[in-house]
Amino acid sequence: MIEKALKGSRGYWAWVALLLVLIGLGISAYARQMSLGLGVTGMGRDISWGVYIAQFTFLVGVAASAVMVVLPYYLHNQKAFSKIVIVGEFLAVSAALMCMLFILADMGRPDRVLNVLRYPSPHSMVFWDVMVLNGYLFINLISGWAVLGAEKKGVPPAPWTRPLIYLSIPWAFSIHTVTAFLFAGLPSRHLWLTAVLAPRFLASAFAAGTAILILLTFILRKVASFDAGQEARNKLAVLSAYAGVANFFLLGTEFFTAFYSNVPQHKQSLQYLYFGLEGHAPFVPWMWLSLIMGLVSVGLLISPSIRRQNSWLIAACVGLVLSIWIDKGVGLVIGGFVPTPLEAIVDYVPTATELSVTLGIWSIGLLVLTVLLKTAIAVKTQE
Amino acid sequence: MSNRISTILAFVIAVIMFVAAWFFMQSGDGASAPARAEAPVAAPKEVPIDSTRCVASTEWMKSHHMQLLNQWRHDSVREGNRTYATPDGRHFDKSLNTCLGCHASNPMFCFMCHEYANVKPTCWNCHISPMEATK
Amino acid sequence: MNQQRRDFLRKAGLGALAGIGAAAGMLPLFALEKTDMTVFTDKPVPGKVRWGMLVDTRKCREGCNECVVRCHHDHNVPDFGKSKNEVKWIWKSRYEEAFPTASKQFQSPDVENRNVLTLCNHCAEPPCTRACPTEATFRRWDGIVSMDYHRCIGCRFCMAACPYGSRSFNWQDPRPAVKELSATYPTRERGVVEKCNFCSERLVKGQLPACVESCAGNALTFGDLNDPGSELRKMLAANETMQRKPELGTLPSVFYII
Ligand code: SF4
Ligand code: SF4
Repeated sequence: MIEKALKGSRGYWAWVALLLVLIGLGISAYARQMSLGLGVTGMGRDISWGVYIAQFTFLVGVAASAVMVVLPYYLHNQKAFSKIVIVGEFLAVSAALMCMLFILADMGRPDRVLNVLRYPSPHSMVFWDVMVLNGYLFINLISGWAVLGAEKKGVPPAPWTRPLIYLSIPWAFSIHTVTAFLFAGLPSRHLWLTAVLAPRFLASAFAAGTAILILLTFILRKVASFDAGQEARNKLAVLSAYAGVANFFLLGTEFFTAFYSNVPQHKQSLQYLYFGLEGHAPFVPWMWLSLIMGLVSVGLLISPSIRRQNSWLIAACVGLVLSIWIDKGVGLVIGGFVPTPLEAIVDYVPTATELSVTLGIWSIGLLVLTVLLKTAIAVKTQE
Repeated sequence: MSNRISTILAFVIAVIMFVAAWFFMQSGDGASAPARAEAPVAAPKEVPIDSTRCVASTEWMKSHHMQLLNQWRHDSVREGNRTYATPDGRHFDKSLNTCLGCHASNPMFCFMCHEYANVKPTCWNCHISPMEATK
Repeated sequence: MNQQRRDFLRKAGLGALAGIGAAAGMLPLFALEKTDMTVFTDKPVPGKVRWGMLVDTRKCREGCNECVVRCHHDHNVPDFGKSKNEVKWIWKSRYEEAFPTASKQFQSPDVENRNVLTLCNHCAEPPCTRACPTEATFRRWDGIVSMDYHRCIGCRFCMAACPYGSRSFNWQDPRPAVKELSATYPTRERGVVEKCNFCSERLVKGQLPACVESCAGNALTFGDLNDPGSELRKMLAANETMQRKPELGTLPSVFYII
């Protein structure tokens, strides 16, 4: 089936070439990081995780959001989703792959990555995260590929695919819950030490992930003349809107608890991110942009008359994705380190190397997604 | 008669139990007593190692020293089990320093052979090699 | 033939190097220590001993950095200055940095300005070991929270988990930044985490930790927290002491007299 990805228009090849160039850039930056050490990034003793782990966190959410099409289609028989299910599954595959690459890029000794399996440590959340992420990648890849293969041959999918797909539903929740637990179980990192972190992760994931799916259907309609259907988009928009509402509600509860209780440790990280702390305010404009853009987007998506207009729908989805990306893919991880355990306020600026590696990994993910979707669409449209 | 015997028996058992209990408490004390708690204050006594014979035969060491070192490292670092007993009853500290205690007399000892066999172990990336220690 | 010749030359070259070393009379001074056979132990009973430390901040002299220098020298801790790549095992913090949740309002200026020695607390309930996915950092039989540099994958979860900022990551190759190589402890490779090890390499030889030994003011007391008769426990019983962030339930083994 994969050979279908080898035939394409000039635009397709230009896109692939662009991605390959960016991947090359990323690889050369990574080579630099490998030879000089992680010191070439902006991370340091105080802010010991940066863009990599933040992107990882955001992308786990994207991966998990495939469940928003799989669940309605397979459990509730929502026929509107028949064409988009495979897009969701393949998006999950490429997002899960990027997650793993980001983890690898962040590791000091990637050559020892198998130590996680050689010395399994169930007390560590990372161990579980590695397990569930790998599992999720393969469940989606195998079930998606098998269903697609059956469709190509014009036969019903093999009976074993169904249990696998059902399994992917709770599994999607588990990957993001475990990812939240990576953070939420660390004492003295007060921005993360909150029970609503896992629900908030899920809500923001379902909001941003479904918004990305909607945008993907628009892109596919334009570049591949493959329309997943207006009805599917509308349904997804509703899901995205309410997930967004849940996300901002949970964020609000964080603010309430921190500021009403007035406990300094609980307030400080939020203060640093949204208002600035002791003169350090690098994230303040970003966080407010994220907040306002997110709320406006959710507002647009909630109104049925607005979300039916495609240009508004696109704008709202872009706004929501960007908003959550800033919140989760930048603020949450870095803000959690400020103030440090020794009450210092340290600023973090990613370096060009770090950003190039990040761009490279995104490009790998997009390339895999492109190839998978190209195959899927070729099969679906019987080219 | 039998009454008296049982009284004597009861008395003997009581005495035995008393003594046993005393012993138990003693050894219990011993267990919680700081066997090595004050050890850090004691001056170390350096006992020279018998440097005429290695922990194993030269042939075996040639092919297995890396496994042995790995095993020693695991035992002493992770388990705290530092004593290596050879089959002929000699005892060694499971430490790279035990090896170097003899072999460092020739700072080239490791290098020459590794060079010859063209293997590049990473040991000396961190451990202070005999060549550096002489600097 | 050629190959043989090359090998010979190479070896001869190395041999010549050794010859120079011997001629300079340096080899007999070989600095790697002998093994102390008297303190050999078989597999120790876990939990019997729990090493701990008491820092008497009243005795710690202003401006003195002896313990820090000694520790960092003995353990080949690289010196990257105060940069983001800094590596440190033991250092001085201000009172409110070390005890951010302790009472600060109207504190006596003497206490407020006091520098407090901070290091890994060798917690009895360490969050760092819980977070580690490979058990590269683990709590030993004697309460020391140890690092296995051979196993660490450099994921830095332990750094995020430690509530005391006790851990440092090797952001770059540490060797060039070690000013004077000490033979008492190995260096580390790039990409692994390191921190205070309570001088386990000295304890096994029956010596006190380097910082304790180096302190001229006698501000540091080291001993077994599980032994009610130890000097440490007597001092803990006789003085009012503090642990850092006790509210987190990590049960630090380092105590402070303010
Ligand atoms: S102080 Fe930090 S590094 Fe040391 S044992 Fe406690 S949590 Fe771990
Ligand atoms: S950096 Fe090393 S010691 Fe720390 S959690 Fe990761 S593997 Fe464990």
